[in-house]
Amino acid sequence: MSSWRFKEIVVMAALAVVFGVVYLAFLPLGSLLVGFMGPIGYDFIFGIWFIVSIIAAYIIQKAGAAFLSETIAAMVEVLLGNAVGPMLIVSGMIQGIGAEAVFAATRWKNYSTWVLVAAGMGSAVTSFIWGYFRSGFAALDTHYVMAMLIVRLISGALIAGLLGKTISEGLAKTGVLSNFALGKQMRKDAA
Amino acid sequence: MFLQRLNPSVKAVTIIVFIIFLAMIFEPVTPLLFLMWTIFVTFIFGKVDVKKYLLYFAPFIIFALGMFWTSIVFADTPNHPDDAIRFFGIDFPKESVLTALALTLRILNVAALSLLFVFTTNTVHFILSMMQQLKLPPKIAYGVLAGYRFLPMLKDELKLIHDAHRIRGVNQAKTVKEKWQNYKRYVIPLLASAIRKAERTAMAMESKGFTGDKHRSFYRQFKIQKQDFIFPVLMLFGFMFSYLIAIQIG
Repeated sequence: MSSWRFKEIVVMAALAVVFGVVYLAFLPLGSLLVGFMGPIGYDFIFGIWFIVSIIAAYIIQKAGAAFLSETIAAMVEVLLGNAVGPMLIVSGMIQGIGAEAVFAATRWKNYSTWVLVAAGMGSAVTSFIWGYFRSGFAALDTHYVMAMLIVRLISGALIAGLLGKTISEGLAKTGVLSNFALGKQMRKDAA
Repeated sequence: MFLQRLNPSVKAVTIIVFIIFLAMIFEPVTPLLFLMWTIFVTFIFGKVDVKKYLLYFAPFIIFALGMFWTSIVFADTPNHPDDAIRFFGIDFPKESVLTALALTLRILNVAALSLLFVFTTNTVHFILSMMQQLKLPPKIAYGVLAGYRFLPMLKDELKLIHDAHRIRGVNQAKTVKEKWQNYKRYVIPLLASAIRKAERTAMAMESKGFTGDKHRSFYRQFKIQKQDFIFPVLMLFGFMFSYLIAIQIG
């Protein structure tokens, strides 16, 4: 914990608040989609839940940023009054581990587009395994479960990976990240 | 009222444990009985507002119905396809229907357990209690609480950005597509101001002596007392009872 500056943690919490509101807005939409399409309905929008991981990891570029930020985001969501309750923190940690594993594989050195996309997919994989166990997907047809996994992977890649990258870079351009890894790197590239 | 006074960490851990227990059950009787037990405990020991409870429960019912029909239609190949139940003039394998019912009731039961927590817990107390009982580092706990306080500020900020855009004549959104475009324009300024606020807040807290040290004093103390164990025991009793009846029925 000592390698983390308090500033970085509060920034992650602030990002989590903004996206926490977005997450909460997506929850009823997800429920509605599930009502019509079954559990696969959630998978189309699932990537939005991993976006904080990608943004935080890309901005701060430290070991543990993806995991910590997703855990913090889950806690903020619980604070905001989410109906999912304490279980959300466990789910957040599991999602964070997936993205963190991908960044760990590059030894937290590579933050290129494909790594960010892979990290979004990493969260998709761990969250899917967790959902498989929790919601009893074992009882469903294998083809349907495969389709769910594929849709979730694409959602993780596009919504979390690519959108996360776009937002982070948009933020860096404003200059607000001048004290963070991404801001410094952008300035170096520009010079 | 006793649920409100329970240690939040004990309550949260108990609920997570029982949600995991439920994930191992693939027959409908246990989740049905335990769902009834959970709702019973919520209202007897929690004094929860019924209307509000139903309002929160409604989305889970839609969700559960979606799960129900897909679990039947997309069920794994049953072991005894001849054993069928008739619905709307179509035969469905009995096994698939029972499994679908089990998964649906599981969702509702998980929802009831979560709502028991949500309706009886002050979430700020929960974070403080996690720091004191579950070894959550103070840096994270206070960071999260500080972030949470940004919520009303960000609401004002959104209004400010909206007005600023309007003065420059960009906010005449009428169609849904234009509104969506507008939201896209809000994201970056909103996040940028959130990050600035976060940096300033962190600096202010550190300049007033916040170090994130674990050996600190707490204004609001949370402790685990003997009566906190009544809740897990109560829930375990309900679960065992449900499970044993399910075995009896077969």
